[in-house]
Amino acid sequence: MATTKPNVAALVEQMPEVDHPGKPSTFTGPDPAVAERIFAEIFTGGRASLLELLAILRSPCDEDFKNYKAGYVLHGLALRAGRPGNEKQRRLLAETLASQLDSRKHSKAVKAFLMQELQTVGGREAVKALGKHLLDDDLCEPATQALLSIREGAAEALRAALPKTKGKSRATIIQALGVLRDARSAAALKKSLDDADGDARLAAAWALARIGDPGAMDAMLKLADKAEGWERIQLTNACLLLAENRAAGKKADAARIYTHLRDTRQDPKERHVREAAEKALSQ
Amino acid sequence: MKNRTHKLSRRQFLQRSAAIVALTVVPRHVLGGPGQTPPSETVGAALIGCGGRGPGTFKHLQQELNAVMLAQCDVRWLDRADNKTVYTDFRRVLERKDIDAVAIATPPHWHALISIAAMQAGKDVLCEKPMTRFIAEGRAVAEAEKRYGRIFQIGTFGRFGVSKNPAEILKRKIMKSGLLKNCPGVLVHSGGFKIKQWSGLVNARPEPVPKSLDWGMYCGPAPLRPYHPHRVGGTHRGYWDYEGGGLTDMSQHYFDPVTWTYGKDDTAPVEVEVFAPPAHPEVCGMWGWIELRYADGFTIVCDGREWGPPYERKKARGISLDDLDEESRKKLAAMPDPEPLRSFGEAVRTRKPAGGNAEAAHRTVTILHLANIAIRVGRKIKFDPVKEVIVGDEEANRLVNLPMRAPWHL
Repeated sequence: MATTKPNVAALVEQMPEVDHPGKPSTFTGPDPAVAERIFAEIFTGGRASLLELLAILRSPCDEDFKNYKAGYVLHGLALRAGRPGNEKQRRLLAETLASQLDSRKHSKAVKAFLMQELQTVGGREAVKALGKHLLDDDLCEPATQALLSIREGAAEALRAALPKTKGKSRATIIQALGVLRDARSAAALKKSLDDADGDARLAAAWALARIGDPGAMDAMLKLADKAEGWERIQLTNACLLLAENRAAGKKADAARIYTHLRDTRQDPKERHVREAAEKALSQ
Repeated sequence: MKNRTHKLSRRQFLQRSAAIVALTVVPRHVLGGPGQTPPSETVGAALIGCGGRGPGTFKHLQQELNAVMLAQCDVRWLDRADNKTVYTDFRRVLERKDIDAVAIATPPHWHALISIAAMQAGKDVLCEKPMTRFIAEGRAVAEAEKRYGRIFQIGTFGRFGVSKNPAEILKRKIMKSGLLKNCPGVLVHSGGFKIKQWSGLVNARPEPVPKSLDWGMYCGPAPLRPYHPHRVGGTHRGYWDYEGGGLTDMSQHYFDPVTWTYGKDDTAPVEVEVFAPPAHPEVCGMWGWIELRYADGFTIVCDGREWGPPYERKKARGISLDDLDEESRKKLAAMPDPEPLRSFGEAVRTRKPAGGNAEAAHRTVTILHLANIAIRVGRKIKFDPVKEVIVGDEEANRLVNLPMRAPWHL
């Protein structure tokens, strides 16, 4: 156990200079053994040393950004903490990162970077803190991506945010619920099939297809039949996906979708859809 | 309401037809004839992603399919797009019913999504290498190819050459025969990975987005980062958001013939070890060597030769008939040669999979994605080639299927 507190700033500065100092540049990277020693030493300082590192972290978007080193070291710590069997260190780092997401000391760009690191190393303990940023247009996307990597507990946070979101964030959250196949969101997603925003509508259809929700079948087929262009292509694909997901449990539902697509896609340029439906019906 | 039917007598029909013909100048290429191809044999096509390899990729498609270019699409053309023949949004191109095939030469973070969308729209696809940005994308492309019965061909053709070479055919037969229980083969590829050339910049501050560039559409499924010119136009290769450095950029060429010869176009390595410095979160950087071992023992080594001490762990070792006993050789001799690979053009005409189909291309690029995952986490990883997941390493497994920025998804 270390008897002296590590000098985090000095350790960070031990990272190698870029190939062309003073300019944006490629970099060669440290000797892995040297980097390992530095990362291990920072961890000996516990939460206090991690907070010290975060205090000097800047994004290239920030006025006072100096160089890549603090961000690189933080990522190195995340990779080390994420090693299998290193749960105690992983949890310490994830909790420390999550605790800084509400801090006024950090710019939004730095918070997005912290979320990116939580995407690497975060677990259940970071979900609540990430969930608070789902309503922030600037941070909704990185927060969602971190939640999707964490998975455990993510659906609850996304489900809670859905009724309060508007605009681009709405499609992001709907899509994420689809990625997670969150059956408990099915009712809200069905309402979103009529959303004024095209991206949200398509995301809802795709999400319901992934969930395999039988209650969405008629509405989705109707929407797909009416749609044109890109929306028709995407909604038709969602119907096929829904049929595939229903086929696993209830074949009659799948057959109804395939039959509908086979009989309605008569344009020669939709032959591939008709053939896909025919092939599925013959299996 | 009554249905009104218009009946034309044969005479009226011929009179009207003659009038139409008299007023229409029909170019010779429309009629066909010696040296001309009739329109029924031409294919309407589009190029999506027009810089770098774009024209070369389209030329290949043109030659294979006798294609006519009807549309070009590039996110850098906000100042010249007319949405008739020049586009910035590939979705508008895919909506067109007169386009049957597309060549895709965007940066790789778009390859899978545009390939899938094109197949959903009924188009056949010739897609530049590397096929994908991460492993799950390749599986999704292969599923779309199967679901819609479309033709996909990756834009590298090394396997077509080796599939005609008797020595390589023999190796494939040995590997696929099941007669070789523990494969001693080691393939070492040394140098040529352009590691430094295709690594990204650090310390780069954001710059204003050029007026002609649709930056949001450029980033697409990848995180929306602040703009920097090094992220666009070839040097994009140095960023995890868009590609995987020189390793993925060069090595789908290198390993496309290898996966065919060694019968690995339906499986993936099970264990990957690397020697590299800790990875940067956004920038592809240096590595020394990579070892990828398949379940049967066959090993691929990438010897980078640009960083760290020289690779000395394993020596290259080929496969030959000497690796089989007498009885196995007799059995092998009775086995048929592999079927010839179909070119893209032949595949489109016969509606049977191309030699560089999605599954084969996916299995080749998976080698490179696994190598990059091991580089990115800095440790040995184990992969299940059937479930396509990394086993026992949650952090590494998160890189198999990356979340996408809405509205883009697999």
